[in-house]
Amino acid sequence: MKREQEPKTAPGGAGEAGPDGMAERALVPACPKGRPGRLQLHLLSGEFDQLRDFPIFESNFMQVTRLGEVVNKVTMGVAASSPALELPDLLLLAGPAKENGRLQLFGLFPLQFVQLFVHDESRWQLKVKFRTGRAFYLQLRAPPETRDREFGQWVRLLYRLRFHSAQGAVPFTQEYSWLEDEEDEEDQEDEDGDLMEREELRDMEARLDPQSSELWGL
Amino acid sequence: MTYAYLFKYIIIGDTGVGKSCLLLQFTDKRFQPVHDLTIGVEFGARMVNIDGKQIKLQIWDTAGQESFRSITRSYYRGAAGALLVYDITRRETFNHLTSWLEDARQHSSSNMVIMLIGNKSDLESRRDVKREEGEAFAREHGLIFMETSAKTACNVEEAFINTAKEIYRKIQQGLFDVHNEANGIKIGPQQCISTSVGPSASQRNSRDIGADSGCC
Ligand SMILES: Nc1nc2c(ncn2[C@@H]2O[C@H](COP(=O)(O)OP(=O)(O)OP(=O)(O)O)[C@@H](O)[C@H]2O)c(=O)[nH]1
Ligand SMILES: [Mg+2]
Repeated sequence: MKREQEPKTAPGGAGEAGPDGMAERALVPACPKGRPGRLQLHLLSGEFDQLRDFPIFESNFMQVTRLGEVVNKVTMGVAASSPALELPDLLLLAGPAKENGRLQLFGLFPLQFVQLFVHDESRWQLKVKFRTGRAFYLQLRAPPETRDREFGQWVRLLYRLRFHSAQGAVPFTQEYSWLEDEEDEEDQEDEDGDLMEREELRDMEARLDPQSSELWGL
Repeated sequence: MTYAYLFKYIIIGDTGVGKSCLLLQFTDKRFQPVHDLTIGVEFGARMVNIDGKQIKLQIWDTAGQESFRSITRSYYRGAAGALLVYDITRRETFNHLTSWLEDARQHSSSNMVIMLIGNKSDLESRRDVKREEGEAFAREHGLIFMETSAKTACNVEEAFINTAKEIYRKIQQGLFDVHNEANGIKIGPQQCISTSVGPSASQRNSRDIGADSGCC
């Protein structure tokens, strides 16, 4: 099983990690995704049998307003409901529970009804838009030394998802109205310029991070 | 927070009947007047006390709209309880109950406790489905029945809690095998950690997981 292959303890032992996991992370800056993230740990905690074996790519974010004011913490992940899938098909959102601050899963959304955009690359911000029109903005929270790389993985992912749906592999595409949305067009322009560059980076980064490369070549 | 059992619930029924509002009223004691169409599944959780036992309800609020249905169906599996909801002011939502019920029975355990809910009982003047019709449908299909209002909170607690009581009763009667995960019931963390030294009481299986950092 997948999780058995993942390193169970960080170098130096989990006992030396700070309560927020930062100490562990600092020891392995080159591989932020080499060990299960908070969302994955939450799903492994035993309360979500059905979701526990999903391959997941996740990051911690700050939800911000369109103008960048901080709203709250969010952990977002993409997951594949079957390991055989070429690309993830689910978006998972989690955040601190009101009563105790522990991470809690808020929702699971088929990616075919969600669109991801780069909102502000210089601030590592993504825009997440549901087919129902609901949208929100997320700013990546990651150590400075890995932030660009981690954001790059999300950018690559959103392109791959978009290509995938553009090829008609996903039903409901015709019902989308993203492109008619003025704001999205802006986003679209922002991103198109980076496209080639991103694709080129892919191979190199896949080598740097074997764990993630197993996950959809991010 | 420890609990004796965790029950997985699903909330199903046509779009707009008030599934998400029922969940929000139960977990947050709030009402949301705008219809925020659910896509996929949204989660809620709350502790309840049944017979002096702490029970955690893990609630999967599913999308009612037809285009999402084939996807959400796959998450019915392993539910111990289901709230099957219709809107007392819209007869078509009542007419669709049979198809929801078929779906639920097909995709989940046969022991699943199903609570039929006629929601929006505050809109008496616009009532389109008589209470007796709801009762009759429930009787015919072996469901529990209640009318609720997610707006006024009337019977909302009761709907969730009575479902839990019924599941708990079935466990005590030995009708549910609590060790079979497919039944949607889990034994709480403190009940099974006897020798292992988990870092936190709420983590059931300390072998698989590191210290949950709570909030980072
Ligand atoms: N008056 C009244 N309105 C309600 C009640 N419950 C829900 N509503 C309203 O009904 C609409 C739909 O409620 P939701 O809870 O979003 O519906 P849903 O069943 O989750 O719909 P989907 O997510 O599309 O499946 C909203 O506008 C609510 O404000 C109620 O008890 N009384
Ligand atoms: Mg809903």
